[in-house]
Amino acid sequence: MTGTMGWRIFWLVLGALAIVAPWIITSGFWINFLILTLFLAFLGQGWNIMGGYGGQFSFGHAVFFGTGAYIQAILQSKFGWNPWLTLWFAMAGGVLVAAFIGYLSFRYGLRGSYFALITLAFAEAFRVLATAAEGVTEGGKGILIALNQDPERSFAMMQFATGTGYYYFILILTVLSLVVVWAMERSRFGAQLVAVRENEDAAEAIGVNAFRVKMGAICLSGAMTALGGVFYVQKFLLMDPNIAYGPTKSVEALVVPIIGGMGTVFGPLLGSAFLHTMGEITKEATQFFWQDRPGLDLIFYGVILVLVLAFLPNGLVGLIKGQWRGRRQGRAAERKKAVA
Amino acid sequence: MTKKTRKSQISRRTFVAGAGTAAVATGVIGFPAVLRAAPQPVNLGIIHPVTGFLQQAGAQCRFGAMLAVADINADGGIRSLDGAKVRAQLGDAQSKAEIGVAEVEKLNERGVSAIVGCFASGISIATTQAAAKHGIPHVVDVGVSDKIVQRGLKNTFRFGPGFGKIVKVGTERLIEINEKAGKPTKSLLIVHENSTPFGSGMAKLLTKGLGDAGFDVMDALAHPTPNRDFNNIVLKIKAANPDLVVPSMYYNEYVLFARTLERQKVKPKAIYSVLGGAASQYKFLKEFPTAAQYIMDCNHWYNPKNSDAFRVRAATEKAGKFYSYEVFTAYHAVKLVADAIERAKSRDRAAIIDALASSTWAGHFMPYGPTKFVNGQNQGAQPLNTQILGDEIEVIAPEEYATAKAVFPRPA
Repeated sequence: MTGTMGWRIFWLVLGALAIVAPWIITSGFWINFLILTLFLAFLGQGWNIMGGYGGQFSFGHAVFFGTGAYIQAILQSKFGWNPWLTLWFAMAGGVLVAAFIGYLSFRYGLRGSYFALITLAFAEAFRVLATAAEGVTEGGKGILIALNQDPERSFAMMQFATGTGYYYFILILTVLSLVVVWAMERSRFGAQLVAVRENEDAAEAIGVNAFRVKMGAICLSGAMTALGGVFYVQKFLLMDPNIAYGPTKSVEALVVPIIGGMGTVFGPLLGSAFLHTMGEITKEATQFFWQDRPGLDLIFYGVILVLVLAFLPNGLVGLIKGQWRGRRQGRAAERKKAVA
Repeated sequence: MTKKTRKSQISRRTFVAGAGTAAVATGVIGFPAVLRAAPQPVNLGIIHPVTGFLQQAGAQCRFGAMLAVADINADGGIRSLDGAKVRAQLGDAQSKAEIGVAEVEKLNERGVSAIVGCFASGISIATTQAAAKHGIPHVVDVGVSDKIVQRGLKNTFRFGPGFGKIVKVGTERLIEINEKAGKPTKSLLIVHENSTPFGSGMAKLLTKGLGDAGFDVMDALAHPTPNRDFNNIVLKIKAANPDLVVPSMYYNEYVLFARTLERQKVKPKAIYSVLGGAASQYKFLKEFPTAAQYIMDCNHWYNPKNSDAFRVRAATEKAGKFYSYEVFTAYHAVKLVADAIERAKSRDRAAIIDALASSTWAGHFMPYGPTKFVNGQNQGAQPLNTQILGDEIEVIAPEEYATAKAVFPRPA
């Protein structure tokens, strides 16, 4: 069996397991665990397009997440729009904000740490704006989406009665994001984006319009991350400036692909699965050995994160690829020896 | 020889009969506890933000809840369930709503009969919804947002008062205190945090309530949480020179604000807080006694005429903790659930919800009277007014609970 065939079978089995998971897993906790893992993978994929493939490190991806979330919440709670309709406006809002930030940043050639800082500043500015614009966003009080208690309208209101509905919703979003990134990687646009990441000046010298490529990447990333905001609002039914534009979501979105493997299709998914699994293991282990020691699990979790960052610069995907390459090289060497 | 042997020996039949009788006798008289299995404990979920930016308050809440569990178990457990002990299943919301929801799912798997938590309104709104999906009764200990009990969730109960009630009472009592003193204060300035539902909701209600009451509300100055510098805000207060300053913010910011006022020698005629983060906290009084003097607060507070309050206070202080409102609100939330389980005579969640809805519990030391829940809100819940006088936090209003007279305005 060739390596490619092996991987195909692996992904097919994993896909089949993901589809039947709610029938196998009866535990609400583990379904919720999978939901949060997929949600973070989806957010991370949004960051990965721009940061991983495009080399444009953003420290303020919450600006897209929060914009999508707020548009979804406001149009529903204040205008009574259907959530399936507001979803498109939320995505459009994410694209608009992305285009605005992208135009200002790339037009004036901001790169590297300057770009990272400008995105951080935008997220903070939006947080202050959301806090101040009480008439629209309800300020720090936050917006609460009315709870749908009619099980027959759960799909129409995008408020699923059980975790299974939310699981399939976020699973579909995550699979779509994987397909989009996979297709992008194989497209001319993807190749140009990688070229810009590797050497922007060289890419421009061979005819790549770096500004247009980066604008495309930030808009795609903004739309995807805004959709993450939509999911959050529908799952938790509340939004306030800290959740929307606070640093937490920005950090989560960038840590996941960094741990999993930046600029790879499955990096964010692997990173999210690893982080959530480690989080639960450290939590359960500390509770088992030292009950009621709050924060101790987070210390262990932090240490593991630091170790992964220190010893796996290419993330988990890099580790797996390294192992795979090593085995292939070993087999090739053995064949050579046998021929000799 | 043979005969002698036969006499001294016990026959098999006699031995079996004797042993059987002895076993029954021992079982009934001697070791009933060994033979009767101890009743299964009642699992109670306790969720608080014990890490993250709400860690300090969350840890205090957890301590109060655990103290109540220890008291209930020391008192014989749940008597109607053969003395079943209460077993705390702890959860950390990490100061995030989504983690709070994950903890609810985990506690549901562990078969908890009820959940108590989660201090912050934002987290409690999310956890009560998640608990409702599984039919788990959820008693909110501190969260003051009125939205918590306005969504028609049958599983959600709040023992303490909410925003609306606290602001209404706080405004009325300020008017009363001011009038009694001959109306020395006419103008006021509100300083509030605006990053969470707590401060922003409070500022809006206070501005309207105090404005309607005839006060000249000069301004409402907002600041984020966390905030590490109050110099500009205090300079603005100095320039405006209001008679009264009304701060509404979390503990750390409150302490910093009060110290900045002291350092810049800004001395309004009074500082009157409504749910002031540190205004009725022994930690603040102990660490900064001069900055804390004469500060008034309208907040969750115990009935100072109930000796049980001081027993719990002694236990809290013995454990090296400060007796803050988080401790006794979480303490009571757990005791309220225990009372409901006692009356429900069941671990069944639906039965406990029914018992909570019809609760008339009076065995607490809060100034609420017997509980009466309407849409999940305890109708008798009310805040008390306190003032820091010397090395104690005294109750100054209402009259029936007062332990000292208000010093208003404060001495120059």
